[in-house]
Amino acid sequence: MHDATVTVSGAAVTPFNRRRDGTGLRDWAASAFDAALAMSDLHRGDIDALYVASESDFFHLQLNPASVLATELGLAGVSATRCEGGGASGQLAVHAALRAVQSGAARHVAVVGVDPSASSLPGDDIRTLYGFSFDAWTDGMTGLTSTALYALSYQAFTESHTVSDSDLATVTIQNRSNACHNPGAHLGRTDSAEDIANSPVIAHPYRRLHCSPLSDGAAALILSDTSHLPTTRKSAPRVVGAGAATDHMHLGARAKPGLFSAKTRAMQRACAEADVTPSAVNYAEIYDAYAGAQLQGIAALGLSGDVIRDLRAGRFAPNGACPINLSGGLMGQGAPVGATGVAQTATCALILEGRYHPDLQPQTLPQIALADTHGGICTTSAVTLLAQGARAA
Amino acid sequence: MISYPLSLNYSLAPGWLEPFVSGLETGAALARKCDACAAVSFPPLRVCPCGATDATWVTLPGTARIELRTYGSDGAFGLVRFDGADTRATVRLVDIAPDEETGRIMASDAQRPMLCLTTMTAKEVSHG
Ligand SMILES: [Zn+2]
Repeated sequence: MHDATVTVSGAAVTPFNRRRDGTGLRDWAASAFDAALAMSDLHRGDIDALYVASESDFFHLQLNPASVLATELGLAGVSATRCEGGGASGQLAVHAALRAVQSGAARHVAVVGVDPSASSLPGDDIRTLYGFSFDAWTDGMTGLTSTALYALSYQAFTESHTVSDSDLATVTIQNRSNACHNPGAHLGRTDSAEDIANSPVIAHPYRRLHCSPLSDGAAALILSDTSHLPTTRKSAPRVVGAGAATDHMHLGARAKPGLFSAKTRAMQRACAEADVTPSAVNYAEIYDAYAGAQLQGIAALGLSGDVIRDLRAGRFAPNGACPINLSGGLMGQGAPVGATGVAQTATCALILEGRYHPDLQPQTLPQIALADTHGGICTTSAVTLLAQGARAA
Repeated sequence: MISYPLSLNYSLAPGWLEPFVSGLETGAALARKCDACAAVSFPPLRVCPCGATDATWVTLPGTARIELRTYGSDGAFGLVRFDGADTRATVRLVDIAPDEETGRIMASDAQRPMLCLTTMTAKEVSHG
């Protein structure tokens, strides 16, 4: 292996929301890419490859979007690949880009995640399509929704973890409260526990306010071989580990349907590559498609030996030892599926570098950050570890 | 914004899953029994956890015990274990009361192979 160190030379996230301004997917992708490229101090001609994360042609009616975005972004001529793994699509694109740079096949790679999950189709149609994110012949045809499958998995989780409704409310309130300070967030809200308890039941125990919204938006990264960066960007944060794994596609075929085992395996692989343990992580963006999924994720990733105790003690709060989802997460910032994993990684890089939204930027810079994404009912997991450039040098 | 209606009419072949899919249409639970280790999977698995691929289709009694359930505006669904199966299944719950712990598979009345569990008759419950 060429064994390059890989630096996040550029990172940008567009606002996530329901666009009503006449802009479309190409505008959002270009906006994110241009901002990331400007941050990198590189030029378009420096980019060797493009990886695009977009979950489904159903959302935007553009097959082969990577080839179209190559032209739209002024990159025609580069290799262009679309990466897809359901909700994990963005993080899988980050991994593909990382490996391209590590191998020496590319010096500078653009990653663009984008999806119009809010404005292009009625919400019920999008949710119907999401139902085919699981085995189409069993769960899909049966009409099992994403929320119902997550609700069943969360209930199984509560059999081995003593969790109360107030813990679900804590996660919900914390993520949406963080989102209030993120000017690009879709759903900054200040709901009370009572508001949450009074919102409609979608799939018990999940109520509407426990669920992430459907959003439009894009995010972009430039990943670079550190040795080929201008001096202004050589000390920027690095990607130091990446891991991905799968679990059985049927929740019912899993020995422990409440545990996100694929996440545990993915994290072990990422930590082995980074030569760290999960306890070294002091900032994380966790895949909170539902409030309970954030707790299941923290447990599976090994960020806590007792997730509920640490939640109640404030370990994951903005001023805690390991803040989680300062962006607001999927629940607060929003969830344009293909953009999600790219945005998580971008958020981690910006926070490590001290360049995040001023009201959310931790005063003490974290050393190791984790971006955690999954697809299906954690059927595909992909996690990425980032570190301060100085540490990895 | 432009409006672009699109109607798609798929023809999907179930492939090796055909006995399972046909069973759902008639209300029968067709499972796969591994020829090597005798593990029974429902929904059926092409590759047994033991690694073997040779298996035999078997018809389960069609009754199941409900282990977890969820309900709300999305509908009622459960994680259940069909009698005779070593795996659990995610199903739609149809006319099953909150205190019912068991059910039986029902034929799909939709134009698609849904895996549905409905209430058992008193007679079936008493015969256990
Ligand atoms: Zn076997």
